[in-house]
Amino acid sequence: MAFEPVLLRNVGKPGVRQVAGYREAGGYKGLEKALGMEPDAVIEEVKASGLRGRGGAGFPAGLKWSFIPKGNDKPKYLVCNADESEPGTFKDRILMEQDPQQLIEGCAICCWAVSANTCYIYIRGEYVEQAEILEEAIRDAYANGILGDDVMGSGFKLDMYVHRGAGAYICGEETGMLESLEGRRGQPRIKPPFPAVVGAFGCPTVINNVETLCNVPHILERGADWYKSIGTDERNTGPKLYCVSGHVEKPGTYEFPIGVTMNQLIDTCGGMWRGAKLKAFIPGGASAAILPAKHADLPLDFDQLAKAGSMLGSAAVIVMDENTDIVRAVHRLAKFFNHESCGQCTPCREGTNWSELVLKKILAGKGNPGDAELILRICRNMGGTTLCALADAAVGPLRSLVQNFPEEIAAWIDNGGAGAEPRRYFAEEVLV
Amino acid sequence: MPTVTIDGREVEVEVGTNLIEAAKKVGIQIPHYCYHPRLSIVGQCRMCLVKIEGPPKLQTACTTQVMKDGMVVHIDIPEVHKAQEGVMEFLLINHPLDCPICDQAGECGLQDYSFKHGQAFSRFVFEEKRTYPGRERIPLGPSVVLNMNRCIQCTRCIRFTEEISGTGELGFFERGARTEIGVFPGKELDNPLSANVVDICPVGALTSREFRFAERVWYLDKKPSICTGCDVGCNVTAEHRRGAIKRYKPRFNPEVNDYWMCDYGRGTFRRYEELERLGTPAIAENGEQRPATWNDAIDRVHQSISQAPESAELAFLGTGFLTTEEAFLIARLADAAASPHRGVASEEGPTRTIPNLHGGISGSETSPNRRGAELAGLVAGDGGLGAAELMQGDGASRCDFLLVADGDPGSPLHDSEVVARLRQARLLVVMGWASTPLTEVADVVLPTATHAEKDGTFVNCESRLQRFRAAFPSPAGVRPAVEALADLLGRLHPDWRGLSTAQVFDRMAADLPTLAGLTFEELPAHGVELQAPAAVVGGGTPPAEDAHP
Ligand SMILES: Cc1cc2nc3c(=O)[nH]c(=O)nc-3n(C[C@H](O)[C@H](O)[C@H](O)COP(=O)(O)O)c2cc1C
Ligand code: SF4
Ligand code: SF4
Ligand code: FES
Repeated sequence: MAFEPVLLRNVGKPGVRQVAGYREAGGYKGLEKALGMEPDAVIEEVKASGLRGRGGAGFPAGLKWSFIPKGNDKPKYLVCNADESEPGTFKDRILMEQDPQQLIEGCAICCWAVSANTCYIYIRGEYVEQAEILEEAIRDAYANGILGDDVMGSGFKLDMYVHRGAGAYICGEETGMLESLEGRRGQPRIKPPFPAVVGAFGCPTVINNVETLCNVPHILERGADWYKSIGTDERNTGPKLYCVSGHVEKPGTYEFPIGVTMNQLIDTCGGMWRGAKLKAFIPGGASAAILPAKHADLPLDFDQLAKAGSMLGSAAVIVMDENTDIVRAVHRLAKFFNHESCGQCTPCREGTNWSELVLKKILAGKGNPGDAELILRICRNMGGTTLCALADAAVGPLRSLVQNFPEEIAAWIDNGGAGAEPRRYFAEEVLV
Repeated sequence: MPTVTIDGREVEVEVGTNLIEAAKKVGIQIPHYCYHPRLSIVGQCRMCLVKIEGPPKLQTACTTQVMKDGMVVHIDIPEVHKAQEGVMEFLLINHPLDCPICDQAGECGLQDYSFKHGQAFSRFVFEEKRTYPGRERIPLGPSVVLNMNRCIQCTRCIRFTEEISGTGELGFFERGARTEIGVFPGKELDNPLSANVVDICPVGALTSREFRFAERVWYLDKKPSICTGCDVGCNVTAEHRRGAIKRYKPRFNPEVNDYWMCDYGRGTFRRYEELERLGTPAIAENGEQRPATWNDAIDRVHQSISQAPESAELAFLGTGFLTTEEAFLIARLADAAASPHRGVASEEGPTRTIPNLHGGISGSETSPNRRGAELAGLVAGDGGLGAAELMQGDGASRCDFLLVADGDPGSPLHDSEVVARLRQARLLVVMGWASTPLTEVADVVLPTATHAEKDGTFVNCESRLQRFRAAFPSPAGVRPAVEALADLLGRLHPDWRGLSTAQVFDRMAADLPTLAGLTFEELPAHGVELQAPAAVVGGGTPPAEDAHP
């Protein structure tokens, strides 16, 4: 059975950015249905669908919503994470550009379910055009009674704002984002308390990724059972956007049932670039461990990737062919994390810096035999010791370099790079 | 109260106590840098990682609160040691490690912990250390200098200015390994409490402009004392080298100054360096002072009192720099002379506020003990001349004898008009440690100890009686005032001869209902709040209603 796109079904359709066009394409049925249900029933439906967060951690969305305390009179908030800062990720952008009403609908359903009357969409600063599109779409939604004091005639009040970030990876981390939203330096907070209890402005807050929320209207409209029928198993359900970049002929954002394989993705992308062979791939963005080509038939879902020692993350799939120098690629990633650590935790601030310097030294032909062990040790001291997951993210590629590609690092160290294969180009030219 | 088990030791703590404080109770120190008991908890340095049974990962002790019974914590285990070593290594890779030329050496959190929790070799051999060129000697304000190369980004200083001084001059700039501490554009770290950031900086990144590189700390002798800058009475440690004070540091007293003191107070020991010290007693003959022995000088004063005719007017003027015990002896002298003329010279000054957990404490007098001196009896009797009549009126011109005691240069006695008025007394006796305009014109000069050289008590602006002790002995030729006064009084009433400060206090406590039951040696470390207001008359404001909410 051919898979009909769900999240991307409106891509390219004229007029869908407006409420009228979106309705014509079948939109706002999910919200309408939700408003006719008890909020708790909406949460139950989302729970039953098995929808897991698409922002990186894969936390069950319905469960997260159910953590919002009931019957306390503090305002509640939804903050939609549109920071999309994980390198290699460009799916939320498509969703916002192409089908902003879908996101507004998803946000509105979530707000109804958790009794939030305010929603912020925190969008990365570089997404200027996307922010404008969203604002336009929100204006139109207000004009058509989707937002405002009386959402679709239900009496439910909902305001929605677009908040633009100022350019920091760490503001994609949910509590760093809340700090930034509140006007402070983007630095993750201590957890607990979790945002569901103390979030934006000290109030209970749901934080969900754009793609997560875009799934919600479909779950409501077509039911949890339909949703669950898509995907690999009970724990990995629904459609998924994969952002394929790197050495393929046609990089792009592709929608598949969750659990597509690397090989299927490469086929969809018109094969490897210039017919080269696959050497390795990053399945889930800069934070994920790099996997060697032998995993190309692994279903790319949350659990299978975790089992393989990597993660689905944001499903930013970065493909590296046989000419890629993994050490250089990892150095580029280490440089990214060093640049983006917020700097409050000692292990992250110093570990991301140190690891970049070690790799730089190796690439300058000055590596020592103990360096692979040193990298592992830095990883050990950085991993699991910090406030937020950025340090763990930085560990992902570093550790996989030593564990999955020992010969690459050994070649640099033994021969100062001289013995390593000639390279047509370096990964960093591709991985910007 | 819930019970928590830390390395096998059970301890009961109040709900919400964090693990660093809980461990302190059983004598276990969990290493930490960013945590400070009075600052918000940020969990940033990651030095305090401990193993808690249950969660798979190590947890930060500072952010973990004991909420209910049954938490089991392990600190002395290899997993935790490894984590501590890891954090230490991260902190040291970019640290200059030039302890021999660093001002913090000897009192550095990095030195202390790397000795205990670090490893003895540096792995960071080839990579270059991160430095902040041009940021090694940045004056942040009048009192504090920053060397960014030594900073471990614990943010204690930032949080101090946000949460304690409430002035918010400092912030984090840049991010990651380039993170810097600095003042916000257009600001200066110039709040009245600014130098406290030097004390709470765990490393040598923030140094005091006054003290910087003046002394190696291990040469300093540290003695508990009390600041004399105002009537808050901040508890301090006087750090001196052979009797020369090099700096004051705040000494913890939760009832008074908590962990802090003001910048002004820190500088008050300078008066001991700047002013000329009186070295020997002097007696004036025909308007010219000549050195005299203590015996002769005391004798001269004794005779003036004991031989005064019935009609003579004798006056006794103290200052807020006297200890309560000294004031008490002077009051007894006045009693012996049956004189109602007594008072305490004191002065209102700028209000100095020190934050504490009771809503802060504010003093606005320029001396530490006006209240104690008045409590001890230096208050004019019926029809007597008080401080105002003597200093601002022509009271002194009616006096045959005037004793002015502790003419500390910080007291309001040295205004030339005041000096001229006091000089109108027929015989002027001045006790004090420094040469002042008043000692210059005195008939008898008695050189006495500074507050750092004597024992005694002060009563602060909230009527808290606090004891302090001599940090070092006074120089040859100089006597503590209690000794001199007991000598003088002993010549009138033998049973006062040779009394120590403690004995004087105990007699005073027997006399004064406010002090009933107290003894000098058993005064509590944080002082006692006196029940009845110490101030019988005179200026100053009683403690605000909500001083102890
Ligand atoms: C360093 C860091 C960066 C992150 N960046 C993003 C991001 O750009 N977008 C996003 O949706 N989630 C990001 N996350 C994950 C969020 O913290 C959070 O888990 C997510 O927004 C929750 O939404 P979801 O449950 O719908 O996935 C990041 C996490 C970390 C640790
Ligand atoms: S782990 Fe890194 S990015 Fe996250 S809070 Fe700590 S220093 Fe900041
Ligand atoms: S200057 Fe000192 S107190 Fe301030 S952040 Fe650096 S190490 Fe901490
Ligand atoms: S003391 Fe706990 S993290 Fe710094």
